[in-house]
Amino acid sequence: MGETRLSAACTVQVLLFASLRDRAGWSSRPFTLSAHTLCTPQAIWQLLDLGAWPGGVRVAVNQSFVAADHPLNDGDELAFLPPFTGG
Amino acid sequence: METSWRFFLLSREAEGMTSAHDAVQVAIHSQPFSATDQLDRWLQRAGSAAAATAVFMGHVRPETMDGAPLEALELSHYPGLCERLLLSFTQQQLSDHGVQSALVLHRVGRLSPGDLIVLVAVSGDRRGPVQRCCSDLLELLKHEAPFWKREWSGGVGTWLGANTPL
Repeated sequence: MGETRLSAACTVQVLLFASLRDRAGWSSRPFTLSAHTLCTPQAIWQLLDLGAWPGGVRVAVNQSFVAADHPLNDGDELAFLPPFTGG
Repeated sequence: METSWRFFLLSREAEGMTSAHDAVQVAIHSQPFSATDQLDRWLQRAGSAAAATAVFMGHVRPETMDGAPLEALELSHYPGLCERLLLSFTQQQLSDHGVQSALVLHRVGRLSPGDLIVLVAVSGDRRGPVQRCCSDLLELLKHEAPFWKREWSGGVGTWLGANTPL
């Protein structure tokens, strides 16, 4: 786990897939949290206007699975992933 | 377009001779592929020395999860992460079950009823570990790899929220 960022703005590239992509109407967009805001996937989710945190959604940062409160760094790729249904 | 990871693992020496290389092959196909052609090529390269091979093939059902006629099944994935996870799962399962080689192929894109979605094949020395490895690898793929299915019926697309039961 890296240090929690509180002192600088944090811009991440958000990726949405499948049902989340359709709900939002886009698949990839940058989002910025202002300085002094805890920069986590949960905080970014609040900016997406997609309602409450949905059950079963997983989070990946820079293509690795992380927890919803994982501290983000400026420039990270942040993906929200609905439940998997492959095979 | 196809993304493919083909990793050749340790070579074996048996009775003083170097055998063919063991192999793991993982690929995601955006176009239909022939299961028999892919299996033949993989078996010739990686599985020819194996005593046991287990194969699973999953095809598109003719009905939706709700029982309506299915027009098409749309499959999408998270490029990069998905391939790396498939490779990691495969290598880990081969190690856990003590078997030698595996082939994992998965479709993305728009599929029709009857089309092949997934092919998993595992080769090794004994049927028990080979069958268990094939089954475990398939379940990992279904539940832990970032693929998503959308059923199309009556012109309406519905994202699935879960897989069919085992």
